[in-house]
Amino acid sequence: MYSDYAFSLEQLWKIAGGQLVLLLAALLIICADLFLMQKSDDTKKASVIGWLTVAVIMAALLHVINREWQLTEVVFMGVFSMEKYSAFIVITILMAGILATLFGIGYIRNNKVCRSEYFILLLFALYGAIAMVQSVDLLMMFIALEIMSVAVYVLAAFLKKDRRSQEAAIKYFLLGCFGSAFFLFGTALLYGLTGTVNLSFIAKVLSVGMFERPEVLVALAMIMAGLFFKMAIVPFHMWTPDVYEGSPAVVTGFMATVIKAGAFGAFLKIITVTFSPALAYSGQPVFHSVLNLASLGVYWKAVIAASALLTMFIGNLVAVSQKNVKRMLAYSSIAHAGYMLLGILAANDEGRMGVLYYLFSYTLMNLGAFGVLYLIDGTERNAQTLEDYQGLGYKYPVHSFLMALFLISMAGLPPTAGFISKFYVFLSVIKEGYFVLAALGILTSAIGSYYYLRVIYMLYMKEPVREIECGRMTLSSAVALIFAAIGVLYLGILPEWLAQVAQAAQSTLAFVF
Amino acid sequence: MTQAPLLTYVTFLPFLGVIPTLFVSQKSEAGRSLIRWISLITSIIVFIVSLRIYNGFDGNIADFQLVELKSWIPSFGISYHMGVDGISFWLILLTTFLTPITILSTWTAIEKRVKEFYISMLVLETAMLGTFCALDIFLFYVFWEIMLIPMYFIIGVWGGERRIYAAIKFFLFTAVGSLLMLVCIIGLVYFHKEATGVLTFNLTELYGTTLPHIYEILFFASFALAFAIKVPMWPVHTWLPDAHVEAPTAGSVILAGILLKMGTYGFVRFAMPLFPDGSAFFTPLIITLSVIGIIYGALVAMVQPDVKKLVAYSSVSHLGYCMLGLYVLNQQGVEGSIYQMLNHGISTGALFLLVGIVYERRHTRLISEYGGIAKIMPVYATIFFIVTLSSIGLPTTNGFIGEFLILLGAFKANKLAAVLAASGVILGAIYMLWMVQRVFYGEVTNPKNLNLKDVSCREVVYMLPLVVCIFWMGLFPNFFMEKMHVSVDKFISQVSKNNNYHNLPKCQIHHASLIQSEHK
Repeated sequence: MYSDYAFSLEQLWKIAGGQLVLLLAALLIICADLFLMQKSDDTKKASVIGWLTVAVIMAALLHVINREWQLTEVVFMGVFSMEKYSAFIVITILMAGILATLFGIGYIRNNKVCRSEYFILLLFALYGAIAMVQSVDLLMMFIALEIMSVAVYVLAAFLKKDRRSQEAAIKYFLLGCFGSAFFLFGTALLYGLTGTVNLSFIAKVLSVGMFERPEVLVALAMIMAGLFFKMAIVPFHMWTPDVYEGSPAVVTGFMATVIKAGAFGAFLKIITVTFSPALAYSGQPVFHSVLNLASLGVYWKAVIAASALLTMFIGNLVAVSQKNVKRMLAYSSIAHAGYMLLGILAANDEGRMGVLYYLFSYTLMNLGAFGVLYLIDGTERNAQTLEDYQGLGYKYPVHSFLMALFLISMAGLPPTAGFISKFYVFLSVIKEGYFVLAALGILTSAIGSYYYLRVIYMLYMKEPVREIECGRMTLSSAVALIFAAIGVLYLGILPEWLAQVAQAAQSTLAFVF
Repeated sequence: MTQAPLLTYVTFLPFLGVIPTLFVSQKSEAGRSLIRWISLITSIIVFIVSLRIYNGFDGNIADFQLVELKSWIPSFGISYHMGVDGISFWLILLTTFLTPITILSTWTAIEKRVKEFYISMLVLETAMLGTFCALDIFLFYVFWEIMLIPMYFIIGVWGGERRIYAAIKFFLFTAVGSLLMLVCIIGLVYFHKEATGVLTFNLTELYGTTLPHIYEILFFASFALAFAIKVPMWPVHTWLPDAHVEAPTAGSVILAGILLKMGTYGFVRFAMPLFPDGSAFFTPLIITLSVIGIIYGALVAMVQPDVKKLVAYSSVSHLGYCMLGLYVLNQQGVEGSIYQMLNHGISTGALFLLVGIVYERRHTRLISEYGGIAKIMPVYATIFFIVTLSSIGLPTTNGFIGEFLILLGAFKANKLAAVLAASGVILGAIYMLWMVQRVFYGEVTNPKNLNLKDVSCREVVYMLPLVVCIFWMGLFPNFFMEKMHVSVDKFISQVSKNNNYHNLPKCQIHHASLIQSEHK
């Protein structure tokens, strides 16, 4: 369904307003930072630019909710598709962006690293993530992936004088390039086979009977490897703990949510639009060889089932032995990716809805946890180990309560969003008959609750071993944390509203053709 | 039904009590005692409101009563569905009855982190009441899991030396069991959907779902595991002694008095009626494990040097009776079992409170530290002896009725099990009386005990209702039983294989039609 699209500003605003706002604002803020505000005090400048960034992202968010949510069309000669599915993930990403910016304002003040690049890079990364989710063209997807990644590589090295921050950036950069190369190579293979990089065209060409060919499977494997790298799925997860631990806490929170949301959004789109067995039953006349399509699911499903299981087990098991809370959360975010993968594996309505719901609530709880983490950390590397957390519950009741709430949500206990999200993805795989996988997966969740609870008992049940000075709770952080906490509880008690929205969003994926 | 949502009031009133406590500072002694009073008054109000359930409850109706049904997550057929029948009715009253007593008992025992403690207690009460009232299997699961968090804190923050180990063990044992149950809940729901086309988590709809035999057995096994851990049945009882010994007195009372009943209640409400074939398949195993639990619990209790641990192991033995009574599947057995759940809540709760009273004075629970204290604390000794007799099951006390009915039912169904279980009664008398003898009689051997104060007025106030209950339930069992008969009949007909359990009367409100009409 290509729209007859004549170039007009009005039209452009309508279809790409969200992206444009971010991009233009990022460029303008660079100029402002360079030329207009040279004289003013650094702290003040950073916080002005920070709040400006919040306003910009908010504007983009409003545009997406008001305009792009209503669209169902493929634009820019088949490069981007504007439909509810992309809009949902874009909303998630922008929400993560707002939270990360708010934390960033406080972080920059508490750590006295008053440089406004943080916000500019953040805007570029957000732009990349959004473009990646909205594109239906593998090449555009790659470009967006790189825009996002390069910005985040720099963000990881944000603490210039901290060696671990530098190490994290280099490690992430080298391995990230490797992952992107895989993705690009897969794209090239598919282009060679089909003569197109557009997802729905590829599906149409392949359906003539090419699915059985090994090259297609190799291409699919390459694309999966590239995206699994960004999603931190085992066995492409090795970089995660080091990078998450080394980067500044707020950047880690941003990485763990925005990049994951972007990569999951793109991956689910590729799998559903191009390689889904559901296509065989979509009734579209272009799909000649129904059987070929249906059998393709068998290949990737086995791979995804195995990776999901490994991811859940390794993520949770290794997290148990971590002494550093940030590193523990890194492994926990690996485990969460495993749960989300279950929803993709199920490949039914409930599964896709579950993934969307999970991404949304994961964003809230994970960013919330990293937000508290940076506050407890005070000045960077002040309090990071479990031992440092001992007895904080009574000295800093608000910090600790919020930490406990987010961790309980991550552990998947009711009445929090984490429980409902896990419920949805497990429901979707059980519906498809994966009983054993579900049972094993849910056992890993019990392992998970062990290490989440360990942080909680450190907070509340141990006496402090040394004095810890937590960072000041700034206005911006307070706003973000309250929003995340209320969201986590609201989505855990009254999940229906967001579930309906996610359901509507996932049902539009079929319109992409 | 246009009456007030009584069950919702009862369930969420304790939670309302949390809100004022949040705004009281616990820095001063006045603030701390204000917090205590707020939570005590809240829990007493909850008890009074819950008495209205007694008025509204008709013992001649087998169906669920005081039903509240609102759709909650309509896209998955999940509803907010509450109701009581003759089985859950008394357990709800037991909960609202024991909570104020427990709160009163902590007046001086909890000195640090007072606010957090009472918040945990009130949240716990909400979760427990919700678990007993829920008729939607998802809602039940939510309350069941929420319950873990405050209990984890109560054991872990205010407990004894190895409290963290005990808290984590308690949490993980329960969590592993219940997570597996969640998988099977979802599986059951999808089997039901395949058969009827309706996706629902409503318990009254799910009763009578026919499953392939193998799934029936598997699902029952995982439900049974989750509940058996909670009961606790031998051999998954090992978390219990740890949790009891480390928990503060109040934690032990709630744990023994109410939380353990959730396991047996889960069998009655969920595992057995949902999977009658699976239940029949495992009957021999469960009867065997129950009898082992009865004897093992009693034997291990006998050799404990620590009074609290002794009472904890006696719980394993008593709950063995409850499980045996359920699985002999006749009127006497099941009613006796439910009666025994209430008895155990009251007698064992009282025993833990009594142990707490001397622990507060002497800070030790070792039997060898005491001896001859009947002379120094005569009132205390009297109360303790009454409770002991109730725990042993002497006629005129409540314990007798429960054990007698269970053994009567067991003789009808399985003579060997009954004979073996009856030996547990004798063992029970031995370990309890021996302990009483060593603690209370003879000469005062330990000079530290010479200055022990007898029970205070406050302690008498909270022990008295329990003592009254012991005799009331022992002398007038029919007052309690008459509300159960019809519900127990229905339960037995649901579980017995010979009956056609598909033709059971459904709940008055047809769940699916209601949900769907709202959905449109």
